[in-house]
Amino acid sequence: MAEIKIKNLHKEFGTGEDKVVALEDVNLEITGHSFVSIVGPSGCGKSTLLNILTGIETPTNGTVEITSDGHVAAPGYVFQAARLLPWRTVTDNLLFVQEDRSDETKKRCQRYLEMVQLGDKGDKFPGELSGGMQQRVGIARAFSIEPDVLFMDEPFSHLDAITARALRRELHHMWDETKKMVVFVTHDVGEAVELSNRILVFAKGGSLEDDIQIDLPFPRDPADDEVAVAKAHVLRKFEELDLLAS
Amino acid sequence: MTVTETRPSAAGRSQPTPSPAQRLIAMPVRIAKSPHSARVLFPIALFVVWLLSLAAVEEIWPFAVDVLPTPSEVGGFMWDEFVTDTLARKNLYETFFISLRRLMSGFAIAMVLGTGLGLAMGLSRATNAFCHDWTMAILAMPALAWALFNSIIFGFDDRGPILTVILAGIPFVIVNVREGVRNTPRELFDMARSFQVPQSKIIRHVLVPSLMPFMFAAARYCFSIGWKGLVIAEVFGGQDGAGWTIKFWYDAHRAHGVVGYAAFFVIFAILFERLVFEPVSRRAFRWRPQLQTEVVEEAFGEHHEHYGEDHHGEGEAARR
Repeated sequence: MAEIKIKNLHKEFGTGEDKVVALEDVNLEITGHSFVSIVGPSGCGKSTLLNILTGIETPTNGTVEITSDGHVAAPGYVFQAARLLPWRTVTDNLLFVQEDRSDETKKRCQRYLEMVQLGDKGDKFPGELSGGMQQRVGIARAFSIEPDVLFMDEPFSHLDAITARALRRELHHMWDETKKMVVFVTHDVGEAVELSNRILVFAKGGSLEDDIQIDLPFPRDPADDEVAVAKAHVLRKFEELDLLAS
Repeated sequence: MTVTETRPSAAGRSQPTPSPAQRLIAMPVRIAKSPHSARVLFPIALFVVWLLSLAAVEEIWPFAVDVLPTPSEVGGFMWDEFVTDTLARKNLYETFFISLRRLMSGFAIAMVLGTGLGLAMGLSRATNAFCHDWTMAILAMPALAWALFNSIIFGFDDRGPILTVILAGIPFVIVNVREGVRNTPRELFDMARSFQVPQSKIIRHVLVPSLMPFMFAAARYCFSIGWKGLVIAEVFGGQDGAGWTIKFWYDAHRAHGVVGYAAFFVIFAILFERLVFEPVSRRAFRWRPQLQTEVVEEAFGEHHEHYGEDHHGEGEAARR
């Protein structure tokens, strides 16, 4: 079972007068098959937190432990833009992040491509696919390494509403099927309520302001009354914390 | 709240299919506008301009007629050279072999040294600061100056022309590779690192392919600039080769020889582009979406010729 433990996490950029505090004294624990969304206004340190969790950036102070059954957990990452290698085919993009190119690995990659409805696009180059398809490949790539934890940084923010909704459904289905932990950064409260069982609200300056549990059954329809009420509840929290203006 | 829904009719959405007569009328226009036609039309236009120029000069300055070569004289000369019936010391094939050997030696050295220097300048600010002005100075120096300088230093052997090719081509390689390194997609490196891909694999699959377009541009520039530099070097500091042979015909006061040999030169450069650079480029960059120039042409009103195409297909969306 995957587990994330963050203790007294602090991150600053620059020095002197140019110093910017991105994260301030964040303490947090996430365990098991959870779907956790991190929400907050622009500049609240959402992406910085994700970059620290994935090792792209190092913290100024504090510790981060990501384990799975006592071992260091393997992370997967879905980015805001798909970040595919344009000179490699869809299949090769998935194989690029694998440890080997064995038949078993190729079959696994194909299985995840089929899960995102792109089983027949393995020979295509990313430039031949739409933005939605490219993001699907990004999701398949992250799942294909069978990570213990999956980090997603606003993966649907560049897509149109209809494609984003379809992908949210696919993502939820894959999360449910693979029983992975997902840490999902978004600025869309509706998206967070639709997908998550836990929402972490960050404020400008990088402080963790609230930790909200959403105990509603899946799949959730945004038009459903209970989902709308949950969304209104989160937005009220935003108002209380004075986050809407920013 | 009331929501009203109106379905547009299918007839209103689809474009009318052109009749066979419309297609017949559209065909010559499409052929005339095609890039293939433009390529064929260019030598024809050149030939016509040549003939008209000869007629004009004959009218204005009759003495020049004996000097200016006619298309038939140049064609006859080229055929004689082609079948190795020549007055020059070496035939066409021997001459081009000598020049090509020099060109390829200089080209290979320029590519290797230029790539190394370009990588170092792209990766290190200090190296860039150290080499930048020298690179610009070499870039600004005309090939003629290198040719003269090298012929004085090395005399009439291979070293002068080869060094001229290197010096004429290397700044283009350095500048292109340096820009390639500066433009490497950092977000792809971050992606690879977050998936814990080994460094050697990142270099092979991310760094090298991202440099390829710049390397290819560098190779093209180096080849064409080096080719010109070589001819100049052979004119001044050679005892054989294409440049020396052009000068031979110049000294013999045979304008058709100068023009004919220059034409061989151009034909060779075009053939090399078509038979080597273009196929390699197509193969290496087959992942690239449709060329931007064609998209611009479509934006200026060419799209009406694509009757009935679905421009909203998801698979095509990223390309357009």
